[in-house]
Amino acid sequence: MKTELLVVGGGPAGLSGAIAAAKSGVKVLLIDEGLDLGGQLVKQTHKFFGHQGFFASKRGVEIAKILKNRIEDLKVDYMLQTTLVGFYEDAAVAYSREENKTYEIDYDYVLLATGASEKFLVFKNNMLPGVYGAGAVQTLMNQYGVLPGEDFLIIGAGNIGLIVAYQIAQAGGNVRAIVEISNRAGGYEVHANKIKRMGIPILLRHTIVKAIGKDRVKGAVIAKVDDNFKVIKGTEREIVADTICLSVGLQPSIELANQLGVEIVYIPELGGHVPKRDENMRTSKRNVFVAGDLSGIEEATSAMAEGYIAGYTIAQDITRRDLSEKINKYKEELVDLRRGPFGKKIRSGLEKMGIHLPSGGYRTDLQEDFGPSGKLRAIMECHQNIPCNPCEAVCPTNAIDMGGNINGIPHINYDKCVGCMMCVMKCPGLAIFMVQEFDEYSIVGIPYEFEPLPNVGDRVILMSRDGEDVGEGVIQRVIKNRKDKTHVVYVAMEKGLEKVVRHFRVPSFEEDKIVCRCEEVTKKDIEKAIAIGFTDFEELRRYLRIGMGPCGGRTCRLITMGILAKKTGKSIEEISSMNLRPPSIPLPIDSILRGEEK
Amino acid sequence: MGEILQRRIKRHPILEFEEKETITFYFEGKPLKARSSDTIASALIANGIDIFGWTENGRPRGFFCAIGKCSSCLVVVDGVPNVRACITKVKDGMSVERQIGRGAVWEEKR
Repeated sequence: MKTELLVVGGGPAGLSGAIAAAKSGVKVLLIDEGLDLGGQLVKQTHKFFGHQGFFASKRGVEIAKILKNRIEDLKVDYMLQTTLVGFYEDAAVAYSREENKTYEIDYDYVLLATGASEKFLVFKNNMLPGVYGAGAVQTLMNQYGVLPGEDFLIIGAGNIGLIVAYQIAQAGGNVRAIVEISNRAGGYEVHANKIKRMGIPILLRHTIVKAIGKDRVKGAVIAKVDDNFKVIKGTEREIVADTICLSVGLQPSIELANQLGVEIVYIPELGGHVPKRDENMRTSKRNVFVAGDLSGIEEATSAMAEGYIAGYTIAQDITRRDLSEKINKYKEELVDLRRGPFGKKIRSGLEKMGIHLPSGGYRTDLQEDFGPSGKLRAIMECHQNIPCNPCEAVCPTNAIDMGGNINGIPHINYDKCVGCMMCVMKCPGLAIFMVQEFDEYSIVGIPYEFEPLPNVGDRVILMSRDGEDVGEGVIQRVIKNRKDKTHVVYVAMEKGLEKVVRHFRVPSFEEDKIVCRCEEVTKKDIEKAIAIGFTDFEELRRYLRIGMGPCGGRTCRLITMGILAKKTGKSIEEISSMNLRPPSIPLPIDSILRGEEK
Repeated sequence: MGEILQRRIKRHPILEFEEKETITFYFEGKPLKARSSDTIASALIANGIDIFGWTENGRPRGFFCAIGKCSSCLVVVDGVPNVRACITKVKDGMSVERQIGRGAVWEEKR
């Protein structure tokens, strides 16, 4: 086989590189190990940050399809289920699993976009089945529709850990906790907020000590750590979980780059060993280029930009056409993607390679004004400088602006906001809410991506930003968003709560505290009845039927009196009026009919 | 045929999945059901099987990365050892067995 450009890896970087080169008239052959094109995009169900030109607000699965279609339209040759196994002196050798056969490939240029692999973590019993890379669980759930367990423990609160936790919840799993060794969640605040408001604990300064189980995971021991990340003795505790997901970082897959003899450097900020390369993604060898996570762990949008830069630069070399305009366009994209606080790591890593990138130059002040009370309006809870602007782009009245740079904090002009909630549906961080106050109550519109959707009139438990229960509410409206699948659910609540409520859940049996087993009366039912004026045991009995079941009150009587005493401030003695009527146990009517005198 | 296995996601807010288990493959000689879109790994996990093999020291081995990088999921497929279960499609009638250690050089069909 002969090709001008050999692309290894069909993820966002490799596909973009192949598209750029093929568009410019270069003959491309792309090789990928996986079952389909798209790399890890095929399991990304969350919406991407960024701007419209780079698929902002689209989900990774959709981006994979778009890129694949472009590859097909450009008639790029590609081989799937095929692994580039080695670069030898005179040819590259690829192995096709389907055909069980190797191919020699003769190429002029090569673009390596081999991505990264998940880092492993060393703790006791860490090889036990049920300990997965977080990405592996994501693959199983989102690509194959399989949830490998019921109760999940996530190790690491970077973006991957936070995203996977959210996606496990979407798939119907329980996330018991996210354990994070440092003193803060490293991922975006908006991702962390989605987790927090669901009530999933993010345990900072904690680590996993051991996986529990013999043949598969049955739980884990976690513990607090000190300033040196050493386990503090005595703080160990067990967590019930059948699946442990490690999201402790990625490392670039450099094996092929090393075989090609390009210079490899060790830069921790970029994920460890990485090929040294210039601004155009060219390595120390003239005809070897790299892009995506292989060139430094980052994310898919920058991987695509790097792919385009590499692809156009290679095409420029081969065709001798000037493509600098396109190359510079993508370089500018990268500058903006890396300008903010989350680009700091990659900026300092690239600095070590002699690539200097600017920072700052965007709005950092938060908006203090939350708009006029009583008006239906959007409330933006986006407090970090992330390169992302779909809210600004979608707003039909131009009420939202980023202050001139995509990394800016969004501000909203409440004179212009018409309450259309399009920004709520678009925001990749699910960080925009709708609020309106009325005389008697308030409503909050919450972006909602769970199944099943609630029905109008359903009573729900209101949850704060930190996932605390703060009261009860009623579903008022459900706006379905069939296209983007971020629905908006309006919940009515007591006035004042609109400032704190950001999530809700449907009450389940599991959270009920039962007092009366016969009549299924809960502690809450009793407290409510007392609150509306049933302050006597006999009244409560008639109102709630508590104590009127088959047990005759043997289980609930004293507990109910205890609650009553506490709520009314009276002693149990004072409220002990009771009239316990026969029969003292249920008995068959015919036993009475057949009764005899004795 | 047609039943949905316990570990399959029944409802998803974003994604739609193929619904039926239409393929039969054999794991350690026992027939199991799978979807045509499954890899060997996803089919085994869906069927509640978490142990894909054992190390030479008898330690149970599950899979770890799901994308062909870690080689933790090696199984014996139709007698051939060292097949990565996570990136190999399951096929109707396929025989999958747990691999012990590095696998025999050539395991003739037993």
